[in-house]
Amino acid sequence: MPVEKFRSGEEMNAAPIRRTAGDFFDRFVRHCARYWRLAPRRYPRGVFKFRTIDEAQSARERVSRGGTR
Amino acid sequence: MNRDELVELLRAFEAEGLEYVLIGATAMGLQGVIRATEDVDLFIRATSENIARLRRALRAVYSNDPSIDEIRDSDLLGEYPSVRYYPPSGDLFLDVMTRLGETANFDTVEAETKNVDGVRVRVATPAALYRLKKDTLRPLDHRDAAALAERFGLKDGE
Repeated sequence: MPVEKFRSGEEMNAAPIRRTAGDFFDRFVRHCARYWRLAPRRYPRGVFKFRTIDEAQSARERVSRGGTR
Repeated sequence: MNRDELVELLRAFEAEGLEYVLIGATAMGLQGVIRATEDVDLFIRATSENIARLRRALRAVYSNDPSIDEIRDSDLLGEYPSVRYYPPSGDLFLDVMTRLGETANFDTVEAETKNVDGVRVRVATPAALYRLKKDTLRPLDHRDAAALAERFGLKDGE
């Protein structure tokens, strides 16, 4: 729906802004890119396996803090 | 996170017929709740055939990185339901899961299809993301759950 019509400013302000998944995707990627410019990371490389989500999250936090995995 | 790399990855998933669903912050981003993240989280269907599709997709994107061979059926179908892959190049990493806790897996997460640059992407619904995040211990998950609840009017039990 490229054109939407409103009877008042209030009605227009209350209307949701229509976006597609592609719009969201681009905003998301730009947001991540800005974050990385502010806080760059160095990752290990390869495959790591975990028995639980807690193990996986702990490993991620160690990497994010710049420690060893 | 590099846009081209992420699209290429999603395109490879589709080309290989990988049965997956995005969860986590990437899925939230595609649902319009946007925050920065380092990784791409996904559930995959827990079958040997599907894990082979995952390996093929990753090899296509990451120039046959030999470490992809370490993504093994015996792990993802057994004692290690969570595998993290840091590609040799690029600035994202993947958390691939066959299950999370006792109940969450590919089959239990409600998903929908989104279109990104002509690629069909399977994404957890806002309600499914909310359910995954609302009862964990991580403060970040609580913030995500609150953002999803506010954005989509979700409540416990939904």
